[in-house]
This record gives sequence, C-alpha cells and structure tokens, in this order.
Amino acid sequence: MLVGFCARVREGDLVTLESTPLAAPILRELYRKVLEAGGQPLPRVSLEGLSENLLKHGNDEQLAWVNPARSDDIETVDVRIALEAPGNTRRLSNVDPARHARHERSSEELRNRYLERAAAGELRWVLSAYPTEAAAQDASMSLVEYEDFVYGAGFLDDPDPVARWQQFGERVDRLAAFLSTKRELRVVAEGTDLRFVTEGRTWIPSKGQENFPDGEVFTGPVETSVEGEIRFTYPGVFHAREVDDVRLRFEAGEVVEATASRGQEFLREMIAMDEGARRVGEFAFGLNEGVAIFTRNTLFDEKIGGTMHLALGTAYPETGGLNRSALHWDLICDLRSGSEVLADGELIYSDGQFLNGVG
Amino acid sequence: MSDPRYDRLAELVLDHSLRLQPGEVLRIEADAVAEPLVVPLHREAIKRGAHAYAALDLSGLTELLVAHGAEEQIGFVSPIALREMDAIDASITIWSETNTRSFSRADTDRRQRQLAAQRQLALRRRDRIARGEHRWCGTLCPTEAHAQDAEMSLEDYEAFVFGACHVLDDDPVAHWTGVGEQMQARADELAAVRELRIVGEDTDLTVVVRGRTWRPAYGRKNVPDGEVYTSPVESGINGTIRFGFPAVFGGREVDDARLRLEEGRVVAAEAAGGEDYLRSLLELDDGASGVGEIAFGLNYEIDRFTRNILFDEKIGGTMHLALGMGFEDLGGLNRSALHLDLICDLRREGEVYADGELVWRNGHFLQDPQPARPAERVR
Repeated sequence: MLVGFCARVREGDLVTLESTPLAAPILRELYRKVLEAGGQPLPRVSLEGLSENLLKHGNDEQLAWVNPARSDDIETVDVRIALEAPGNTRRLSNVDPARHARHERSSEELRNRYLERAAAGELRWVLSAYPTEAAAQDASMSLVEYEDFVYGAGFLDDPDPVARWQQFGERVDRLAAFLSTKRELRVVAEGTDLRFVTEGRTWIPSKGQENFPDGEVFTGPVETSVEGEIRFTYPGVFHAREVDDVRLRFEAGEVVEATASRGQEFLREMIAMDEGARRVGEFAFGLNEGVAIFTRNTLFDEKIGGTMHLALGTAYPETGGLNRSALHWDLICDLRSGSEVLADGELIYSDGQFLNGVG
Repeated sequence: MSDPRYDRLAELVLDHSLRLQPGEVLRIEADAVAEPLVVPLHREAIKRGAHAYAALDLSGLTELLVAHGAEEQIGFVSPIALREMDAIDASITIWSETNTRSFSRADTDRRQRQLAAQRQLALRRRDRIARGEHRWCGTLCPTEAHAQDAEMSLEDYEAFVFGACHVLDDDPVAHWTGVGEQMQARADELAAVRELRIVGEDTDLTVVVRGRTWRPAYGRKNVPDGEVYTSPVESGINGTIRFGFPAVFGGREVDDARLRLEEGRVVAAEAAGGEDYLRSLLELDDGASGVGEIAFGLNYEIDRFTRNILFDEKIGGTMHLALGMGFEDLGGLNRSALHLDLICDLRREGEVYADGELVWRNGHFLQDPQPARPAERVR
C-alpha cells in the first residue's frame, strides 16, 4: 500500500525510508518493494536517544543547527516514506519546552521548503505508523489489539484495500468540492462557537496518499477571519506532553485567551513560540469511520470520523493558507454529539455527520 | 542505564582518536545494533559542543539490494552521500554487525559490484583525510554476532573488547598516548632497517623495507589499536610463510594458508580450507598477488583469535602481511582492490632478524625501542 498506492514510487525515484529500528521488519519490506518498483531506497534510521541527547545537553548553537545532509534530502529526493515507531512516546516529557521550541524553530525553514516541494508536486510523501508497545500503551491497548486497530484504520483487513481506498477517496473528493462552494463556516458545540472564512482557499481531500491511514478534508482558513471560541474535547498532545481541556478565544484571527485544566503554561509557551503560532494554519474534518477512538497519536486521532481539528501554526501551502510558524499543533474536537456546523448560515453537519447525503 | 565502559570507550574515541572540537560536524556510521555505543558517543560529542548525528543502517537492507537490485541499483552511489562527505569534519565507523555471515550465500560478483560502488565514498573520505580536512576512527560495539565469532558469551566478549581498548585503565587517553610514544620510537628504529627476516613454523621469509616509512598505530584511526606497520619494497619479498590463523574476508574463511613468494609475487598458494577462495582472491587483479603491508601486532591484551581483523591483526606477538593494496603515504606502490590481512603467530616459535641481528623472539622484541640516531635516520 505505502510504496504503490500512497507514494506511487516509479523507476529512478530516490526514496528515503524513515523510522526507528523497532520498525525493522516493515522497513525491510519497504526497501524490497522500492527496489522492485525501480526506485533507490535510502534508509534514514533514527534512535530516540539521540534527540534526547541533543535536547538535554546541546547548547543554543547546537539546538539551532540544521544538518546539511538532511536539507539535501529535502531538496533532492522524490519520495519520502516515514513511519512512526516509538519506543517511548514520553521520553522527552521532561525537556525544557523553551529548548524544544528553539530546536523546532531551527527546522522551520527546512519544513517550509519540504511543504513547498510537496505542494509543487516535486516530492511525494507518506507518513504512516508501525505498531509498537509504546504506541499501544498510549492508546490503552495491548499490542495485539493495537495492531488490529492500526490495520483496521488502513482498511488492510478488507479483501481489496486499494478498491476500498479509491471508493473512500471519491467520498472525500465530493466533500472537498461541496465545501469549496462555501464562504464561511461556523462550528457550534458545547463551549464552542467559532467562525472563519474559507472562501478563496482550497479544500484538500486527504484520502490515503500523504498519510496512511487517512481520511480528512482540510484547508487553511483566511488568517484574520477566525473569531470566537472553541473547547477541545480531546487532550492536546505535543512534544511528549499532554494538555487537557484546551479552550481558545480568537479575535481577528489571533488567540487572545488560552486556558487548559492541565498544561496551561506549556500551551501558552507554545502559542508564544513565534508570530504564526497564535494563528490558525489548518481547519479539517476527520472522516475515517475505521478510527473511532482516541489513541494519543495525531496521525490517527485527527482522522476520527465525526471530529474536526484545528491546527495552530504553519499552514499547508497547497491550501492557499499563508500562515507560517515553527509550530503545527493539531487540536481535536469531537463533534459526534450535540454539535452543528453551519456554512453561510445553512446547517450542513450535525452530530458528526454531513447532512443531505453530501458525505 | 548506560554501562560506564561504553561511556569511556566513547570518550576515548572523541578525545584521543578524533580530538573533537566544539562546532565540528561529526557523523557516526553504524548498524542500529550498535545503539549501546552510538548513544553515548552522540551524547559525549554533544557535550563537547559538536554537531553530531548518526547515519544508521539496518541489518538485512544491503543484503536485499545485492539479492534483488538491478545493475544500476547495485551500482548506485547516492549524490546526497557524496555531498555529505564534503560537509563533515570527523566521522566514526562502528563496524558492529548483527550477523557477520549474512552475505555468505550472496552472489560474489553482485556483492563485489555493490562494494565497488560504495568504495567511491570511502575514496572521497580518504582524499579529505589526506588533505587534513577530515579525521576518522573505526571501532566496534560488542554484539552477539561478534561474540559468537569469537566463541564467547557476550559478557565475556565485552570484557575482551574493553580490555583491548584499555578503557578501564585509570586514564585511557594517557595509556594510548604512552603507547604512541613507544611505538614511534620503535618505528624510528625500524626505519633504519634494510631487510627483515621472519622465521617460524614453516616460515622463512625475507622482506626488504629499506626506504619505507613505518607507522605506529596507537588509537587514532582504530580503537583498539596496537601495531607498527609499513608497505615493504614490492619486489623484495622472498621465501615461504604460513599463516596459522584463519583469514576472514567477505564473510568467508581461508584456513591455514601457506604462501611462497618470489620477488614480491605469490608464486604458490595452499590452504587447508578455502583454497579455491584464496586463489580467486589472488586473481582479483594484478596487485592482488603482491604485498601491500607488513606489520608487528603489539597489543598484548589481545591474546586470542576472534575472527575480526580489527582485533586479530593487533594480537600481541604476531606479524601480519597483507596481500593487495599498499599505503601510498608510507611509500607503498602496490595497487589492488584487495587488502587481505594474513596473520602469522610468532608467539611460541618465532624469530625476527633485522639486517641479520635477532630483534624479536617468541612474540616480543628483545629490547625496548632505542630511538635511532639522527645520522642513521638521514641515511
């Protein structure tokens, strides 16, 4: 699925394969498939302990250093396949957030360049996950249960996953086309009444190419148009920390109030990271009915069918979003009960479902 | 919890071998199985202000390339990797493997072509080292695979490796600095020698070394280390030599090799095991049947054969001779894609004569090195 359906590896492609040694079995399989497709696999294996070393012991200059070899990757390769395979998702929980943020800022230029090449169609990429004990633990499952969850979310239990994803993709395409006809959205739920303009921006159907599993439709709202308040039903997970019951109030597109029942200080530090961190870079609807529960992993959580998410920080250039930041923090809100979304005053979505057969 | 022995090995490599400076870019190259050493190396390098990162391989990937890759995939040299080589000030190769025999059944031609492509990277690094733009060191992290080759448990093998590296000494850097001074004196002394004669079991070989530079190896480019070596005069090797230890090359062994050399060329070769393989290596190219190196192994903490050349060639009391590629910077002229180290045990029954004078018996030089007088060095 990853090499063929998602990344569409072709002859002569340079393909980086990124993960940790825990994903060795699937990395070998990917390596072989890339060879079979005529591509050149370039393994990029990382150890979690090395980020820990840098964040704990590095000086400012070291934290800000960008490895020229990795910039070269971003500039040169045709395809990037990255797999999450954590050994300990909370390894960096005790790192000073300011140091973390400094390190994050150093790779901002690189990330923007990466998104630019991706938006221009020069770089295909896919982010996926290999089930590990650490991820299962975060999801409060056994490894076997978590494996079933991961493969189920990718429709890999279906006799013909490709056909299933194509069919699913048609639905996501329809929703993107429908939303493109709207000027302004309003989300109403408990503790939430948020308005923003999406006219002139592009809704992108995300249907199993750049994320796997997938299932969302997203855009970058007009930066200055975001008004109102929102209360996120799920904890925000970022930099190995969890922030509970996040509430944000926006005025003219900027966060003017941010509270949380736990981790409020961290939330505020992240929002203060740079200019763009207090503005919205992405708004999206999660559409994958195979992902029904929260597992503390954004790759899956933001796809939960019947949810929305909003990202503070950098926008995806292909949406037309202009916001740039070292931050991109997805915060997720469950809309499956007692919620409504209105488009230009008309009710289009209620209790986690699009109405009138559009979705 | 990190094992302090790994931390100390990391410190030795960074402070003695590489003399790593703040702001320098360091690349650590290893198989992921070397994680117990990669992590402390990276941590200590970060603490020293360097920009350190690891480039990790996973066991089984290159094996897939050799088994299934098309010609152009096998011969591919990453342009990213070539550019990367120009941007780094220092690098460490950790030779640890997950399985030392994973290429045993691979197609030899395909494997050779894949290695030849990767050699372009090694050559670029060699050129940068020669220009003083790059510092490099090779070392090993104990793994089950290497312990198995050494016929030991991992615990015993760790003790062997760390002992050979002298990392449990009070001051490992001081130890290796001292070794360096002693070996430099020995190298200076050998520089005055015209011809060596090596006599042992089934061995009587004369080797002309006049005019060649001897180099002490004391933990700068290898950890562990401990040899004094040169490239002998190419046409000046005559006689017979028997190598009691198996030679391991490309995952295959040549056992109990016996060679007869005339004017520096192998004219007869036999082996108790792997004789065909030995012959195929000798035919690899023109330089493969010539001699590229002669050396004394002087690390007496290494007292046994472990099927790993990093250690075996330094066994205290042995000599080794390498067929193939010589060292240009020591005056060596032989060129080959081969560099096959063959180890001759001189510990029980061995004598070495320097210009007719007995200088070595049963694994030891008879006298501490006497620095040569300036007049002799000039001559």
